[in-house]
Amino acid sequence: MYKSNSNEGVQIRNWNVLIFMAAVLLCFTVLLLRLFSLQYTHYDENLQRSENNRLRRVELVAERGFIYDRNGEILVRNRPSYQIAIQSLNLPKKKSGRDSVFANLLQIRDKDGKRMFDSLSLDTAFLRSRWIKNRPIRILEDASPEQVSIVEEHSSELPGVVTLIESRRAYPYGTLASHVLGYTSEISEEQLKLPEYANYSQGDRIGQKGLEQHYDAEFRGTNGLKIVEVNASGREIALVKGVDSKAPVPGLHLVSTIDLKLQKVAEAAIPDTARGALVAIDPRNGEILAMVSSPRLDPNIFSLKKRERNRGWAQVALDSLRPLTNRAISGTYPPASVFKLVTAGAGLENGVLSESKFYPKPCTGGFQYGARYQKCWGSHGNLNVVNAIRLSCDVFFYQAGLDIDMERINEFGRRFGLGEKTLGIDIPGERAGWLPDSASFNERNKRLGWRWARGLILNLSIGQGQIVTPLQQAVLVGSLATNKGVYRPHFMKELRDSEGNVVKTFEPEIIRQGKMKPETHRILMAAMDSVANHPGGTGKRGAIPGIRVGAKTGSGEWKKGEKTHAWYAVVAPIDNPEIAVAVIMEAAGGGGAVSGPIARKVLMAYFGLEDRKK
Amino acid sequence: MSSGRFLDKSLKFDWFFLVLTLALMACGIVLVYSATVNEDSVFYESLWFRQILYFVCGSALATGIVFLKLDWLKQLAAPLYILALILLCVVLFFAGDVVKGAGRWIDLGIFKLQPSEFAKIAYLLTISYWLSRHPVSLFKLKTFFMPFVLFIVPFALVLRQPDLSTALVFIAVTYVGFFFAGLTLTDMFLLASPVLSVLFSHSQSMLFQVLWGALICAVVFALFRRRLPKALTIFFLATNILAGYASSMAWNMLEPHQQKRVNTFLDPMSDPLGDGYQVLQSLTAIGSGGLTGKGFGNGTQTNLAFLPEEHTDFIFSVLGEQFGFAGCAFILALYALFLWRATSTCKLFSDPFITLMVMGASTIFLFHILVNIAMTIGLMPVTGLPLPFLSYGGSFALTCMVLVGIIMCMRYQGRRQ
Repeated sequence: MYKSNSNEGVQIRNWNVLIFMAAVLLCFTVLLLRLFSLQYTHYDENLQRSENNRLRRVELVAERGFIYDRNGEILVRNRPSYQIAIQSLNLPKKKSGRDSVFANLLQIRDKDGKRMFDSLSLDTAFLRSRWIKNRPIRILEDASPEQVSIVEEHSSELPGVVTLIESRRAYPYGTLASHVLGYTSEISEEQLKLPEYANYSQGDRIGQKGLEQHYDAEFRGTNGLKIVEVNASGREIALVKGVDSKAPVPGLHLVSTIDLKLQKVAEAAIPDTARGALVAIDPRNGEILAMVSSPRLDPNIFSLKKRERNRGWAQVALDSLRPLTNRAISGTYPPASVFKLVTAGAGLENGVLSESKFYPKPCTGGFQYGARYQKCWGSHGNLNVVNAIRLSCDVFFYQAGLDIDMERINEFGRRFGLGEKTLGIDIPGERAGWLPDSASFNERNKRLGWRWARGLILNLSIGQGQIVTPLQQAVLVGSLATNKGVYRPHFMKELRDSEGNVVKTFEPEIIRQGKMKPETHRILMAAMDSVANHPGGTGKRGAIPGIRVGAKTGSGEWKKGEKTHAWYAVVAPIDNPEIAVAVIMEAAGGGGAVSGPIARKVLMAYFGLEDRKK
Repeated sequence: MSSGRFLDKSLKFDWFFLVLTLALMACGIVLVYSATVNEDSVFYESLWFRQILYFVCGSALATGIVFLKLDWLKQLAAPLYILALILLCVVLFFAGDVVKGAGRWIDLGIFKLQPSEFAKIAYLLTISYWLSRHPVSLFKLKTFFMPFVLFIVPFALVLRQPDLSTALVFIAVTYVGFFFAGLTLTDMFLLASPVLSVLFSHSQSMLFQVLWGALICAVVFALFRRRLPKALTIFFLATNILAGYASSMAWNMLEPHQQKRVNTFLDPMSDPLGDGYQVLQSLTAIGSGGLTGKGFGNGTQTNLAFLPEEHTDFIFSVLGEQFGFAGCAFILALYALFLWRATSTCKLFSDPFITLMVMGASTIFLFHILVNIAMTIGLMPVTGLPLPFLSYGGSFALTCMVLVGIIMCMRYQGRRQ
């Protein structure tokens, strides 16, 4: 058909162009008919909708789930919080009108005669209102009811100024378990860019740290939506007819494993000025009953208005004692003499040690290894393994360590939760420990040029040189005592929906083998028993009447000339373990003397005993 | 100059077409101005001023194109096509700047290049050049092979971005291209019938069942008349019936929430809290304009400030609210005249390349106009296709002006009969 000057081809082509234009006209007619129906037939209803009323899409923020303790006491709840905001569309159109709203706002004083709004933040908000048309811009955060009523009184002079109700977090016990609970704050710019926060939008309050962060998705629920009609000054009048709103689904409540009573006792036992941590765990299933990290912070400051929040934040962030760190899971310490349980366990398990094994060199206050003289903290004479643990004799363990070798000691430690793998607790920030062997020691100290030497075993076999967290320490003694495996430590007992139905229960999960020969177990338990209950035991200050506890003390050296870190790890009752507690007080002295009594208080409270001493 | 002279076919330059283009651009600037004007901002920072700049740049570009020789254009086709494919790959695999969840841009510093816009033009040029030398016919299936290859590569790349609506532009251009490269109206109907089949059998209602039945009858009748090769006859029949059954079967296999998502896409008003919210606002804005509109500048502060894209995708709502049915009809009339002048260009020449270029360019305009307006008045899904000359946006303004330039070039450079 494309032969040039072919008349037929040109005719067909022109005919096709005509068809094309006919199709155009047909389509345009359809569009015009629809427009006519909208603009003529349905003119009245559309006009009414647009002139008298304005449509708004309002997000209905779902109520954030609460946190309960194991007995149903509320640890975290919500409180209403009033926000005063400007709604750009309802501000006067003219600049002079907006300026007068601005001036009126500046004039408003609260009952103390102080200005409620400062010109700087108002200026920023009005500047932003030029670009942000479709949502309110906050000018006063977390206003008090009085402030709200003052603004409402002046509402006739303040077109475009609206009051919104938000829900904010409240922590009724203040600093109690603050590191476990975490806090909420507005999502940060950096977080918004991360893929895991894809479902969040600017202005959302999200959990930061602790359970608030880990279970944020569960706490959040699903926001609802409604379309409302508002009047000329921005106030809601009614829902739009014929459009169903989507109700918000409240977030899930978390029933935690924390025991409020025990937590209170533990918090009281550790002074806020001290640096230290305490973990109480049920070794039979990994439930954490109490966790303290000191110094503490009050998570309520993060729900306050900006000025106070910033002041509180500056205080905790700049504090040299680092109250933001959860020492119980992120604090890394040398395990000190508590580690002797692992050395002894490895020796017994591998047949190197036994109850009747004595070493040729008795403890005379020290041990000569090559050119080095390694001290002990006393002179204990000739000891078997049980008494060596009871007296925490270093010389015995120097020799035992050399005999057993590091690989076997570390293998035993890893079985019970120590080492480079975290335990997978359900709050963020958990640090792993470190059990050095020749390879990992050389790797880590490459930069310093240090090389592994056999002499290092001396220090390592008494727990100087490893890294553990207080949580690992509690898990260690707990699982040593049960000899039934290491359970994942956790805070979540169950999740409940807003009606109280259980949605999800935490299933205890064995994460490490955590088993040894019955004979090893028996000897270790006898040793732990004697630490607490034998008159000469280093941990006798942790003993409690009526219940046999097994314990191990530790005094971690961390800096020459400073007091040692005081460790105390205890499990009770020793023959049928229900609770394991690890306490560390930084730079506080000997483990038995300082941390022993703290652990004791927690155990007394757990078993419901009156503390008659003191 | 009499009006007869004004429209004289022998004139190398179509003044009327130029006037229509300028009128549409002026309307566009007025609408962008009224949608985004802000008394506090400086004029050279404002969007309407930038839109003027885009149009000025575009006009310069169009003027340049008018002086390109047809042979040059034909020689440019292959290099431009390859360049477009490279750019599409770049945006897809490397430099995609994520705007609204879809990587469609390459940031060049001074402005953001949208390769899919460039690809539209390059594809138009290439497919027109190919079809102008190799007419297609349903009786010779291999004639479809090359056009299909040329089509599928950029189509797939754009679809992967993902930019469904732009990908559909490629289909429209190809479809109309076939019509002017040898297919008859009956063939066109047969080609479109499987799509219609899916649409009609999607719903189980009586009306749609009857429509589908009628469609199948029409297909049978058309096949009977065309006497196509046996294989093709069976193919068309089978695809129609299969498309009908498969679509309803596939529909039933979908989970309810997936069905809902499809429904929401096809009918945004069924989800008034999501996409439907925009459409609801748009309908309210247009409807409240009435027959004569609220007047210039009186619509901006009401509903439309809630439309996030009032100056781009939903510019027609701004028009409808401020100038009412009269304004909408006026713009539609301008568009109709514009398309008429554009398409009438090809009647002056016998060169099939000119025909295909002009009709392809017109198709791009028509497709954008129909899809965009139908979206704002709730007849079609919410997609991101802008309205030619009216929507704010640099890349698309340049595309439009280049297409205008091409249409003018065809008339200026074409050899008279």
